[in-house]
Amino acid sequence: MSVEIITYLVYLAISIGLTIWVAHTLHKSGRVFLVDVFHGNEQLADSVNHLLVVGFYLINLGYVSLALKLGYNLASAKEGIEALSVKVGMVLLVLGGMHFFNLFIFSRMRRRATLRNNPPPVAPDAFTAVGAA
Amino acid sequence: MSSLTVLYDPLCGLCRRVDEWLAEQPKLVPLILVAVKSDEARRRFPNLDHEPTVNDLTVISDQGAVYYGPKAWLMVLWALCRYREWSYRLASPELLPTTRRVVSLISQHRYQISRAAHLSR
Repeated sequence: MSVEIITYLVYLAISIGLTIWVAHTLHKSGRVFLVDVFHGNEQLADSVNHLLVVGFYLINLGYVSLALKLGYNLASAKEGIEALSVKVGMVLLVLGGMHFFNLFIFSRMRRRATLRNNPPPVAPDAFTAVGAA
Repeated sequence: MSSLTVLYDPLCGLCRRVDEWLAEQPKLVPLILVAVKSDEARRRFPNLDHEPTVNDLTVISDQGAVYYGPKAWLMVLWALCRYREWSYRLASPELLPTTRRVVSLISQHRYQISRAAHLSR
């Protein structure tokens, strides 16, 4: 096997592994959050959680696949490792960006949901009796 | 709180325009619009002094909590799905003085604004 092939295989193994790990973390920790957002409706929370993770996989694996091609020949193992570090670094940044985007969506959903039960912004000036409508 | 009654000035074109806008907005708390000093307003709130309601927008909750002027405007925003966040922002200590100033400015000049915007009858 040439250095290029080994680099590609290691790249794929690391990126796919990382994607699975981040998606798993998101799936596990995001659930509690979603159950709270949907007022304890666990079925809906699980469904939304699953859909979010599927989107996460599609975008990340899509990027991993697109970024696979190196475009030049590797002369030594040293160059292979350097190329690998650049590729994996990019994958990590994309994963990080996606992860924070997901957190942003979660927090926005939660804020929206809690806003519904928030008390009035100001205290009343007075009180009066309420008659028949 | 299950509803808010808004006492508005039916003689002011701007207020009528705002009422039309309010009617279209999705609400978190239902708004009941009642003309100031009308029979209905007196029937709903028999013990309220209705004189000041002509000068300032008045909002009263179904539990009898009365909000005047800037607070009434904030309560109306609070009742709307899209603007509840804004009601907290505008009621924050940093922005409340500005909110008060702008609201009283608009309230005092509501007939002039209505005329200038051709909203009068």
